[in-house]
Amino acid sequence: MRTLCERLLGNVPKPRVATHTSILNEDHERIDDALVLFFAAPHSYTGEDLAEFQVHGSPIIVREVLRVALKFGARLARPGEFTQRAFLNAKLDLHAASAVADIIDAESRAAVRAALANLGGSLAQSVRSLRAQLVHLLEELAAAIDYPDEVPEPHRVLFSGRISEALRAMDLLQRDGERGRMIREGLAVAIVGPPNAGKSSLLNALLGEDRAIVSDVAGTTRDTIEERIILDGVALRLIDTAGIRDHSDRIEAMGIERSRRAIEQADIVLLVVDGSQPLAQDGHELLRTTDERTRIVLWNKMDLVPHTHEDFPPENVVYGSAHDSVTLDALRLALARVGWGGQRIDVARPHLSAAHEFSALAQARVAVIEADEVCTSGEPLDLAAPALARAITSLGKITGDEVVEELLDGIFARFCIGK
Amino acid sequence: MNDDVGVLVVGGGHAGVEAALAAARMGVQTLLVTGDPEKICTLACNPSIGGSAKGQVVREIDALGGAMATLADACSVHARYLNESKGPAVRALRHLMDKPAYNRAALRMLRSQSHLEIVCGLVEALIVEAGEVRGVICDDGARYYSRKVVLATGTFLGGKTYRGDEVRSEGRHGESPAIGLSLALVRAGFPTRRLKTGTPPRVDRATVDTSRMQRQEPSRVPLPFSFDGKHTFAGEQLSCFLTDTNSRTHDLVRENLHRSPLYGLDLIKGIGPRYCPSIEDKVVKFAHNPTHQVFIEPEGWDEPTWYVGGFSTSLPADVQVKMLQTLPGMEDVVMLRAGYAVEYDMVPPTELLETLETRRIAGLYFCGQLNGTSGYEEAAAQGLVAGMNAALGAKGDSPVRLGRDQAYIGVMIDDLVTKGVDEPYRLLTSRAEHRIMLRHDNADLRLTPIGRSAGLVDDRRWEAFEKRREAIRRGIAVASTARLGRVELAGQSFDASATIADALRRPNIVFDDIQALFEPPLASDIGERVAVEIKLAGYVRREEMAISQAARLEQAVIPPSLDFETILALSREAREKLSRQRPRTLGSAGRIPGVTPADVAILTLYVRRGSDGHE
Repeated sequence: MRTLCERLLGNVPKPRVATHTSILNEDHERIDDALVLFFAAPHSYTGEDLAEFQVHGSPIIVREVLRVALKFGARLARPGEFTQRAFLNAKLDLHAASAVADIIDAESRAAVRAALANLGGSLAQSVRSLRAQLVHLLEELAAAIDYPDEVPEPHRVLFSGRISEALRAMDLLQRDGERGRMIREGLAVAIVGPPNAGKSSLLNALLGEDRAIVSDVAGTTRDTIEERIILDGVALRLIDTAGIRDHSDRIEAMGIERSRRAIEQADIVLLVVDGSQPLAQDGHELLRTTDERTRIVLWNKMDLVPHTHEDFPPENVVYGSAHDSVTLDALRLALARVGWGGQRIDVARPHLSAAHEFSALAQARVAVIEADEVCTSGEPLDLAAPALARAITSLGKITGDEVVEELLDGIFARFCIGK
Repeated sequence: MNDDVGVLVVGGGHAGVEAALAAARMGVQTLLVTGDPEKICTLACNPSIGGSAKGQVVREIDALGGAMATLADACSVHARYLNESKGPAVRALRHLMDKPAYNRAALRMLRSQSHLEIVCGLVEALIVEAGEVRGVICDDGARYYSRKVVLATGTFLGGKTYRGDEVRSEGRHGESPAIGLSLALVRAGFPTRRLKTGTPPRVDRATVDTSRMQRQEPSRVPLPFSFDGKHTFAGEQLSCFLTDTNSRTHDLVRENLHRSPLYGLDLIKGIGPRYCPSIEDKVVKFAHNPTHQVFIEPEGWDEPTWYVGGFSTSLPADVQVKMLQTLPGMEDVVMLRAGYAVEYDMVPPTELLETLETRRIAGLYFCGQLNGTSGYEEAAAQGLVAGMNAALGAKGDSPVRLGRDQAYIGVMIDDLVTKGVDEPYRLLTSRAEHRIMLRHDNADLRLTPIGRSAGLVDDRRWEAFEKRREAIRRGIAVASTARLGRVELAGQSFDASATIADALRRPNIVFDDIQALFEPPLASDIGERVAVEIKLAGYVRREEMAISQAARLEQAVIPPSLDFETILALSREAREKLSRQRPRTLGSAGRIPGVTPADVAILTLYVRRGSDGHE
């Protein structure tokens, strides 16, 4: 790094001082005047010598600086490499590295708080107590095998009962983790309905007060628009889809296909129908196809000419108008209830977050179910031991008591280039 | 005798004898130096060989071409299947020995072994040149030369025995210890530590009233350890007996604790085994237990003594007699020999490679209690591995390493060399994470090919093994394809399409239920094994998957050039331990106490990316 600075700048800038200096190419010609910050090892993010260049915002200048730097022996960082180096130089521990990744990825303040809650390591404590229960079961089996004359085998029914207890604890962990994931990743809400049911005005009304980030998804089409709102600290991705009605028109058919995909991928389907008119065939069709999904039905335009539509369970149905704040509040309540049980999710509770944690818990769960099957099937009880041991190993990957190779790759691959 | 021998073994206990026999059987000229050839393979403590985990080890020794199973079968006075009521995966054999017969049988086997010579001598010093062992020097000045030396010194290194305040310098009851060798090891740079173990009193069998004890009958059918063993009894089968301690026994212990070398006198500094506690330990540490079981076991057909199992003690002899006389059926018992504690030197086994060769001195191998283990079977198994590797080394061949998923012996050696020991190490089934594969019934399938390629399994045994393996393979094939041909069996209903194997997978169906269905007929011994293989196949498959997932760490070899000290992300403790022990693979690095999973994760980055991970 020092050599690179000497070649690019003619000298090594004073550490930790913003230095205004020229950047030179291989022919000692000036490329740009830049602000350079030099950090000497070990007092840098990575623990190694590090320099930051603030150049003028021209793509040509940026490309030229990069070209010259590469020519002088630099190379582009791999994803997450800065943090990886920081970790290898003991500037960050594994937890911190993981939390850095989570914090960078966080889309809402709730998600930041969730990431910070997990940094405390208290998740490990609760998983550890579950793991200890399983270790205890395994020890009882082992003691009976190693000391057959002294230690009786555990009672099958009681043993099975304790395995079920562990399974319930795992279910709780799973549920908390799912909630955490929801906070972190947000929920996708597909707004669907026949044309002119009032989907767009609903979207605008919801955004009116809650608009967070507005973005056309990839700018590909105006048929599907994704907007975000934050509700109770949870990010909701509202996906406005094309109206679904006719199948004949080719362009409409494409829109319909996109809507179908949006429905498939959504966590919640928000079906908007015009309540001022009798339900047409397309409305019936949508009600039928989304019946199995987590769904809220808004009977819109009820302020005009109300019709009665009785054959729906009232908890997932809102009657009213997208222009009416009472209706909007009712809709928000319904979203919260359907999405996360209605209560404000407190993110202070530690929960599973990394993909490897979810997969470790799932593996542990499968193994514990196997052990339970041994108990109930009448197989020799000691055959439950290998499954319990595997479950213990899997849980250890969450608590940090086992080596998780995929963790490293996972953490460092999640960073974009640079920090 | 100043000529080099191929392998030189010091010590004639269970470890030394297996080591010497293994090397000689592999055709390497071998010399066994022992203090007293008449005491070869003495069963110094209990009369039992086998047991949970240990029984599997005896089978493994046999499968590799070792001696212990054959010797035990020839001297068994009582055989029993342990865990027979539990699953086939945890069954184990346990035999009680006629102790003098075992000595004689071992000596006979050694004397009839070609390439093997026994000399009487007490080794005092090692001859080491340029970091390589060259031989040993005995107390009488005799020198024996070899480039491969196996030390199997048992409890004799700096041995001291304790009975109350009576302290004797001995390696075993009435036998002198090895003091000089202990000092020689220290001079060579080996750290040593003190361990302690104990043995219970022996009583006159004629003075025990067994009618007041619970009788433990021996097996009605012979249960040979050896895969080539004959299905006959070695002699008359004897019963064992169970009795219990009571509050009077415990009171006596408590009243006399001030005379205990362990408690009141505080003479013993060595650490004793938790899993084999003395009666003092049981009374003090498990004060809430009103009674403890006592196992009365014969020590041979014509031996006047009975072994009082579970009653190990170092209290003074007069107290021991009084304690024994509180046991039901022992009111008038005569004690023939007092129990005692023995304290001895061991070298932390982290000094060793997985081959049992020391890191410090090339060609020097350690095995048995010197490595901090306890138990005849553990010692014998290490002896076999050390002898085998010494002989392979003498021939210029590469050594044998047994994995944790291959053998209990592999589990033990890995535990020893990566974790070291804090107390005398005993094998337990719970130490083996892949227990379901390390069964006593399949030890030959697991290990005989390894013993054969090492040159330890002779043609006769190899042919018998191949026949057995083929018969099992055929039996499984028949069971998997042949239809059951009936819809009901042993009170259970089946589909018309069910095979014999489908029936065997049911928990309550055993080989006897379906033996008649095999065409061609299947012998019971093979049939039982076929049944176990089929019953456990699903469990084994899952275990194999788990092993292959872990294999990446086990097979990831840490580059010998890697300088752990430069990896700042490692904890200081990890850096120190890794630098000292230099584990061969990431897997064994992870098992070193003090090296955390996070440390292993960091190493993974280095091993996988090489120098590229850190420029």
